[in-house]
Amino acid sequence: MEKRVSLAEIFFAFLYSGLILLGGGYIILPILQSELVEKRNWLTADELMDYYAVSQSLPGLIAINISILVGYKLRGKWGSIVGAVGITFFAFWAIVLLASVISNFVDNPYVQCAFWGIEIAVVVLIIGAVREMWSKAVVDIGSGVVFLISLLIMLFTKISPAYVIIASAVVGILYKMIERKYTEENK
Amino acid sequence: MYFSLFYEFFKIGLFSFGGGYATLPFLYNLTQIYNWYTPQELTQMVAVATITPGPVGINVATYAGMKAGGMFAAFVATGSEILPPLIIGIIVSKLLKKFSDNFYVQASLWALKPTSCALLAAVAIQLFCSNVISAPHKILASIFFTALLIYSVVKNKDPLILILISAISGIVLLKLI
Repeated sequence: MEKRVSLAEIFFAFLYSGLILLGGGYIILPILQSELVEKRNWLTADELMDYYAVSQSLPGLIAINISILVGYKLRGKWGSIVGAVGITFFAFWAIVLLASVISNFVDNPYVQCAFWGIEIAVVVLIIGAVREMWSKAVVDIGSGVVFLISLLIMLFTKISPAYVIIASAVVGILYKMIERKYTEENK
Repeated sequence: MYFSLFYEFFKIGLFSFGGGYATLPFLYNLTQIYNWYTPQELTQMVAVATITPGPVGINVATYAGMKAGGMFAAFVATGSEILPPLIIGIIVSKLLKKFSDNFYVQASLWALKPTSCALLAAVAIQLFCSNVISAPHKILASIFFTALLIYSVVKNKDPLILILISAISGIVLLKLI
């Protein structure tokens, strides 16, 4: 029989994972691997990989999604909520505290020079994220066309990204349905 | 305002695919609708989010809320961004394996991934124009951008180090030279 994990344990595991999650994005997997799989034995490495894959296919932040899915596996609905709150906790309070402090420094000439460099670095960081997404997203000519059309819409129209996302999902489903029909007919 | 915050961040939680940076196109779009923060402030928010603990997307959402109306607004923004994934996550948990293998899920993701990537690419282009091409000392900015980009591609992808290098370089290049 597996031991039932308490909600407090789930909260602290995700609280700690959130605290050491620095720099964002793609380091969530190694952190959870060490915290949940190796230290606590709550799930296997394979299960974690499955949750990670599903997290990427759900809307929202990947780190939050994976906390929700693992929380659910451990303690159902309340496990999900506790996991999501745990991983969010430090992220929220760090910003609430910093936001009020930073506004006092923004006018300092040295800080402004630092921000001149940082604002350029942010563009480089975003380009890095685009490359990372591109490598998983643009897998054939069709997805390349979807990328190009979406990019043109975003640059030259004022359509809200939410509508572009909805339209894209519809296009994807229609395209794959037509493709499936076509390959079935040719069998 | 709290209702607008709830509505906008609920939408972000529901429609952004691909992690923290994928929320940026939506946050950028908000600068055109509301006066919560400017595109330049958004850039600074991304930098601060990158060097603080926790998921970048949560950091940025909290920061956007703080800018829009203080701590309670930050709570509303962050909470409403988590709400859709929480509802969807709990439903999906019950049919985990079947969900990923589902034809319609796969088909929509086939298009959603390149679209999300394109949305972020558009933000990258817009921020490149404002933060590099139209920045003060544009020539120096362009050279520094090119150097940093090459460095990030060949050597180091750690965001923390990039932010640190660029902050020091900013002070050194603009103040001391």
